Amino acid sequence: MINTESNNGQPRLQAVDLSKRYEDGVLALDSINFSVYPGQVFAMLGGNGAGKTTAINLFLNLIEPTSGEALIQGISSHREPLKAKANVAFVSENVMLYPNFTAMQNLEFFVRLGGKTECGTDELRAVLRRVGLPDEVHHKRLKGYSKGMRQKCGIAIAILKDAPAILLDEPTSGLDPKAGFDFIRLLESLRDEGKAILMSTHDIFRAREVADVVAIMNNGRIIMQENASALAGKDLEQVYMQYMAGHDLEVAV
Amino acid sequence: MLRTIIDKEIRDLLRSTKFVYTFAVCAVLILLSFYIGASNYQTSVTHHEAARAENLRQLEGLTDWLNVEQHRIFLPPQPLAALVTRISNDIGRTTEVEARGELTAHDSRFNEEPIFAVFRFLDLRFIFQIVLSLLAILLGYDAISGEKERGTLRLALANAVPRWKYILGKLIGLFSTLSVSLLVALAIGCLMLPMMGVPMGGGDWIRLVLIIVAGLLYFGAFLSLSVFVSTMTQRTSSSFLVLLVFWIVSVLIIPRSAVLLAGRAVDVPSVDELASKKASFGTDLWSDFRSALADFSVPGEKDPEKLMTALNNYMDSLTTVRDNQMDAFALRLNEDRYNRQVQQQALAFNLARISPAASFSLAAAELAGTSLSLKDRYRQAAAEYQKTYASFMKEKTGMNVGGRMIIMKIGDDEKNEPIDPTELPAFVYNQPQLAGSIGNVTTDTGLLVFFNLIFFAAAMVAFNRYDAR
Repeated sequence: MINTESNNGQPRLQAVDLSKRYEDGVLALDSINFSVYPGQVFAMLGGNGAGKTTAINLFLNLIEPTSGEALIQGISSHREPLKAKANVAFVSENVMLYPNFTAMQNLEFFVRLGGKTECGTDELRAVLRRVGLPDEVHHKRLKGYSKGMRQKCGIAIAILKDAPAILLDEPTSGLDPKAGFDFIRLLESLRDEGKAILMSTHDIFRAREVADVVAIMNNGRIIMQENASALAGKDLEQVYMQYMAGHDLEVAV
Repeated sequence: MLRTIIDKEIRDLLRSTKFVYTFAVCAVLILLSFYIGASNYQTSVTHHEAARAENLRQLEGLTDWLNVEQHRIFLPPQPLAALVTRISNDIGRTTEVEARGELTAHDSRFNEEPIFAVFRFLDLRFIFQIVLSLLAILLGYDAISGEKERGTLRLALANAVPRWKYILGKLIGLFSTLSVSLLVALAIGCLMLPMMGVPMGGGDWIRLVLIIVAGLLYFGAFLSLSVFVSTMTQRTSSSFLVLLVFWIVSVLIIPRSAVLLAGRAVDVPSVDELASKKASFGTDLWSDFRSALADFSVPGEKDPEKLMTALNNYMDSLTTVRDNQMDAFALRLNEDRYNRQVQQQALAFNLARISPAASFSLAAAELAGTSLSLKDRYRQAAAEYQKTYASFMKEKTGMNVGGRMIIMKIGDDEKNEPIDPTELPAFVYNQPQLAGSIGNVTTDTGLLVFFNLIFFAAAMVAFNRYDAR
């Protein structure tokens, strides 16, 4: 495995020998290790069942690790979940907020839930504008929003939480090219603000576009981890297919 | 944090179409139950007044109190029975009173108007027990599993939110929204009562408030249960199905099964069986009476008037002896039946109390004064009245009339002056004491509180282990 650590401060997200075996015996994560530093986008690439979402769920303490630790700002999300989760924002694959609430009301609720007590209407509106939602839809109920608009709301919630780390679970899945493009620009601006971003995706194109570090996952293992600079000039799709083929061969042998 | 969750729950619920429609239906039903109850009360009062007037009218023109027959007393309509009818329409409301003999109430509302027995009245207890428990299920079944299906649960729990706060906030939000909405409808219903001429005293209002409190506790129990079941299932459809089965078992099966089981466990002789025994014993006594009557003689007495007086006195003493024997026999049979009935009822109620529906129903009926004890209280009041009536008649006629006693008169000593029927003592039926009623519902309200706590605790435990992915 290639060491991808940069010396950009302490890692904000860190997986240390993180494993998860479900009750049905399936080993979803097999002792993975990685770190995400401030101002870094870490992309976990892999097919369905590779273990990407399991890793994110472990950081959110939605499931318990079988062994190892998922650390947020050095705090174990399993041992001190509330303290750890105060330092992370999350955007899911298919952001489904409260359909009877407007974008403003959804934001207001999740921002307060995130621990921010003072958040004015102007701030909410500014963030909604920043993610690309025009003023005229701010007071519309979410039941009338498209998937892309909901996704923008989701990222607005993450921005408002102003946590040092952000977890993204397949954030560009199902988005049209324009929405996907906008989303990536937003991620870049968040990275520039110094956020540590862990993104699971099977969109090689987007991963290539935005990631500082790419990890290819298969069957619960990280089978390749490279800095973007090391991948420069390489066809990531080809690299991905080679690694996957190699690993499948290894498994078959 | 808790306030944020409660606030969100309230706003989300108030904006949902599901809530708007279901609440509208419930509000209409609540108002309808108050309207029907008040109308029924007015009708019952009219019937009651008419029956009392007719009873006195039948005595008009009589010139001798000895000729008073078929004097009737009537159970007066109770204001709260209009809202929680329970057995009030099933028991006999009219009792024919004689100075002696056993009293039997007859002419129940459903006996007089059987159509109402087929389609029973929509009362407040029914609305709470059936409709509001379904409302609680309908609005609580997707509390957690629905959030999971929508994906909002994962997003919410990605924040530093303790799970116990999240579920407590949801439950408080749901309960407060629904309770306040229901209380508005109930308050409007309460206003209708005095407006429609239902004379509610201070005690009646306290009882009504307590019935509503018991109803809300019952509603809360089903809401907590719904939230609990939604934390045990991953899909809203499964949650709804489980709750529907629980509702059927709790509301429809357990109370009825408890009565059936108690009926099998404790044998209570039927009224017909008792009547047959009493008739047989009465026949024997009557035979003895006739034999004893044949032995009547007053040696040496020739004056017919004195002989008649002696005969009347003799018959009176025989009738008294016969009555005493009959009363003692009937009392023994009745007491035995009553004791068995009490035992059977206690067993049935205790078994049924594992269902919140039974606890609520029993508490509401007790507070409204329409529980099974209504029949006993009416019987006791009638028995008390019989004593007053007997003293009155003794004072007016000089003898204990009634009990198939033959009164023989000679000569024409009939007075021309008519009797005044209004002199008859009035029958008064008093509601049980409020403190006593409150004491009697302690177990059931305690159980309702227990159901709330246990379901909520179970929901907390289950949610802590809930797979929120």
